Amino acid sequence: MNETSATDIRPLVLVEGLRKSFGSHEVLKGIDLSVQRGEIVAIIGPSGSGKSTLLRCVNQLETHTAGTVTVAGVTIGPDSASHDRELQKLRRNVGMVFQSFNLFPHLNVLRNVSIAQQRVLGRSQAEADERSMQLLTRVGLADKAKQYPARCSGGQQQRIAIARALALDPQIMLFDEPTSALDPELGLEVLAVMRELAEGGMTMIVVTHEMHFAEDVSNRVLIMADGEIIEQGPSREVMQKPQTERARQFLSAVRDR
Amino acid sequence: MLDILGNLVTGVPMTLFLTFGALLVGVILGIPICMARRSHHPVLSNLAAAVIVAIRSIPPLVWLFLIYFGLGSGILRLSPLVAALGGLGLITAVNMAEIYRGSLAAIHAGQWEASQALGLPRWSRLVEIIGPQVARISLPAVATYAIGLLKDTAVASIIGVPELAFKGTYLSQQTFKGLEIFAAVGFLYIAMSLPIAWVSRLVDARIRQRVAQ
Ligand SMILES: Nc1ncnc2c1ncn2[C@@H]1O[C@H](COP(=O)(O)OP(=O)(O)O)[C@@H](O)[C@H]1O
Ligand SMILES: [Mg+2]
Repeated sequence: MNETSATDIRPLVLVEGLRKSFGSHEVLKGIDLSVQRGEIVAIIGPSGSGKSTLLRCVNQLETHTAGTVTVAGVTIGPDSASHDRELQKLRRNVGMVFQSFNLFPHLNVLRNVSIAQQRVLGRSQAEADERSMQLLTRVGLADKAKQYPARCSGGQQQRIAIARALALDPQIMLFDEPTSALDPELGLEVLAVMRELAEGGMTMIVVTHEMHFAEDVSNRVLIMADGEIIEQGPSREVMQKPQTERARQFLSAVRDR
Repeated sequence: MLDILGNLVTGVPMTLFLTFGALLVGVILGIPICMARRSHHPVLSNLAAAVIVAIRSIPPLVWLFLIYFGLGSGILRLSPLVAALGGLGLITAVNMAEIYRGSLAAIHAGQWEASQALGLPRWSRLVEIIGPQVARISLPAVATYAIGLLKDTAVASIIGVPELAFKGTYLSQQTFKGLEIFAAVGFLYIAMSLPIAWVSRLVDARIRQRVAQ
């Protein structure tokens, strides 16, 4: 139904007129965003500007107040009267990585990566475990398979979380400040995995404070402030020659840090 | 003294049966009560809240009378044991529901979000992700409750369930050696609680060692 081939020119993600309010507080004030297959979009901006909320609307962890979100042909309208089945269909194509990792503490690393493959994709445990081991090897953590998450460093946990999301063969990966909870050295190992993913052609939306990642790895940068996209364009241009005063202020403030 | 003990010990299996029976009823029945209490449906959650308050506010002794004489005098004829199990089980269930609710609140929102983002079906989120974590957090409180329950089973003697306190009362009426007999009864309650506390700490430590949160 929503089969999409690699040559499909429709955007993989299409967000139109997206608004989100928490009570009377409007957090997203009409966002339009389209992301093509293979594109890597970085979202930066001051804290509280609505970056996480935007990302969470894309996979519908938050319902939105107005507008539509379409991912790989599945469209969700506002305050989703959407059925669980539509949500499941949308989420099937979207992987998400959180700032706080959110591994399941009572399951070992292998189970963490395998469980959704079995429950969502219907893979057998043997198939799931095999795929999990491939992915754990890819993120350099095959030796941790039988450990519990608490025995792993933050950087390792985040790499496991990436493997867990990849295990469902998503068409797009969302990252919400994946390195913000990590010491810089540990953040680097996570960024390295993300770079590799990017080189492999994965479509990604990355909310980040890592200006180098935004500039070097992403194709496009979006700057958000107060629930709006105040500037966007090719990464180098936006990062080096921002057009708006607000964007200039924000960039010089983060660079001074 | 030894024959007193020997006589009393015959009440121990019934006390343990009542304790673990009511605990089992409560641990299971507590799950739907907790879910109703947390339901987004206001009627359901308010009803559950009212039931929890009502059941907790009435002393176990009164509940046992209500069930035994109330239900028992009508169509239903309940044996003392069933009445005691039902009453204590119900009281345990609402307390379990509140323990679970506290444990649920202690679980990081990210656990729900991650399992939703992965698209896990609802049953899996509850049974495989959140449930085990709730169980793990609840364990110490449940063990403490079980020890309290062990002592509370003594009320069942009032309606004639032949457990430890019943045997003690009976024996003391026959022999007039109240002090010795109830000292022995007390000793037996201690002897039963200690292993419960010990096992719970052991299990808790083992999980902690593995999961170390
Ligand atoms: N669940 C929520 N309930 C109420 N307000 C929220 C909620 N989540 C976010 N907000 C508010 O929305 C605004 C944007 O938050 P967020 O998207 O987390 O920003 P960012 O990720 O850019 O720091 C903030 O003012 C925040 O307080
Ligand atoms: Mg955020």
